[in-house]
Amino acid sequence: MNPSFNVDATLPYALVTGGSKGIGYAIAVSLARRHYNLILVARDYSALSAAKENLEATYPVCVEIMSYDLGREESAGEISQWCIDRDIKIKMLCNAVGLGGEKDVLSLPLNSLRHMVNLNIDSCMAMTLLLLPLLEKNAPSYILNVSSLAGFAPIPSKNIYSATKAAVMYFSYALRFQLAKKNISVSCLAPGPVFTTPSIELVTKKKMGWFGMQMAVSPGEVGEIAVRKTLEKQLIIVPGMLAKISAVIIRTLPKRWMVSIYSALG
Amino acid sequence: MKKALAVLIALFVIGQVYARIDEQFVPGDSLELANHPFSVKDSLPYALVAGGSKGIGYAIAEALASRHYNLILIARGYDSLVAAKNKLEALYPIHVEILSYDLSKEESAREIAGWCTARNIRLKILCNVAGLGGEKDYLTLSLDSLRYMVNLNLESCMAMSLLLLPLLEKNAPSYILNVASMAAFAPIPSKNMYSATKAAVLYFSYSLRFQLKEKKISVSCLAPGPVFTKPSIKETTKKSLGWFGMQMAVPPKKVGEKAVKKTLKKKMIIVPGTLSNICSTVIRVLPNRWAAAIYSGLGD
Repeated sequence: MNPSFNVDATLPYALVTGGSKGIGYAIAVSLARRHYNLILVARDYSALSAAKENLEATYPVCVEIMSYDLGREESAGEISQWCIDRDIKIKMLCNAVGLGGEKDVLSLPLNSLRHMVNLNIDSCMAMTLLLLPLLEKNAPSYILNVSSLAGFAPIPSKNIYSATKAAVMYFSYALRFQLAKKNISVSCLAPGPVFTTPSIELVTKKKMGWFGMQMAVSPGEVGEIAVRKTLEKQLIIVPGMLAKISAVIIRTLPKRWMVSIYSALG
Repeated sequence: MKKALAVLIALFVIGQVYARIDEQFVPGDSLELANHPFSVKDSLPYALVAGGSKGIGYAIAEALASRHYNLILIARGYDSLVAAKNKLEALYPIHVEILSYDLSKEESAREIAGWCTARNIRLKILCNVAGLGGEKDYLTLSLDSLRYMVNLNLESCMAMSLLLLPLLEKNAPSYILNVASMAAFAPIPSKNMYSATKAAVLYFSYSLRFQLKEKKISVSCLAPGPVFTKPSIKETTKKSLGWFGMQMAVPPKKVGEKAVKKTLKKKMIIVPGTLSNICSTVIRVLPNRWAAAIYSGLGD
């Protein structure tokens, strides 16, 4: 364990899965700025260490890092046990880990698709269920699940990604009602394009052109809005004005139309 | 909110009138091939029904049999598979193959697809009916049961579709029928994971339909309201939806018949029963948050 653990141990904790990079890291930064101690979970140990160093150098918080592949069944159990053993004062759980790509069904092998389902749905469901006792103990507390604009309507080329993100969104809606009485607020982040890797920028430019580039929101801004709105107990969080307008349109149009539109875009 | 309720009630009254008309349902009757020589059976196309030994799956199998499709039925229980086979082969002039597999297991889909490919089965229709649901799931069931539900409801459907695609493509024009539920149209708090996995199946079907259009494989998705395939479903429906739920229920046989008929007509979303149809339209138009709030009020 981190030697500086006791320094800020009175601060509340937030656990961020997929917190070493991308949106997860941006969420971690916004939480650190608000003086939450952090537990970051990700696969890549060196990325985790780098994130820890950056965060601890900038903010007066301590950062625990745990290297786990959340696509594996046993991960959630081991992580939650670690937290329960130490009676961590968890106030917020952010399920930011996820996998997506330009194409999936008909392009990726079945094993990759199963991994996507495990990572996007199962891990979110398992982490939430297993950490619920700690969240309940430290209520009022917060759960933030990361879905996507793709969760609002099916995207043919991103078939399973879109399906799993819809499942995460349904899960968040339902869970919010289930946990309302326990003083645990559930939020769901549904961002449009966020350029966390150069390939996402390329794909967005190719498929959606100027409009897509305008809709994009920087990771830092997404993280900040996500954390702020989560603490304000908002259910669906869509960062960026243009993305918000698009989301309203996507949700209002019949799914069949949306699929046709997406299909035409490529 | 009040406006929405007023609209709901108005639609409900209209639905009641139509439901009466809809009840004059005639089941498919086609035993005329029964006396044909055995070889005729061998030339019939095949349909594979996952979860075909009981409930909606069996009803779909029967509707396919009445249209002279040979069948491959998959389910966990061997005894109920044998019973289904005996019944169907006695009633209809078809072959029924049975394979006992737990579709939640990763290797199942691969082994089933291997079996079909090795025999070069003339597969025309794939029906992914296997699924699991209950009155309550998240916060009531164990994590293992919830994972089982995700595997069975979503992954098995995805795996079977992908692995049987080569055979379906070879025998095009062909059909895929995935079974979702009305629960897929909006989140239901008490049936959290059931509703989420069924939404994923619905999204998967929408997308797949577009992906397979050029290959002449039509994808449909069945989204039934309450179907009393077990006494417990009847009790739960009566408890949480009352008289309205009982009116909305459609018998399994009719669901199977509608599902097959509309699948062959290449319809995308199939909701059997007029009242269910009206309800599903309302649910799909309402914001998810309202629908979840209404469900939450009904459930607790």
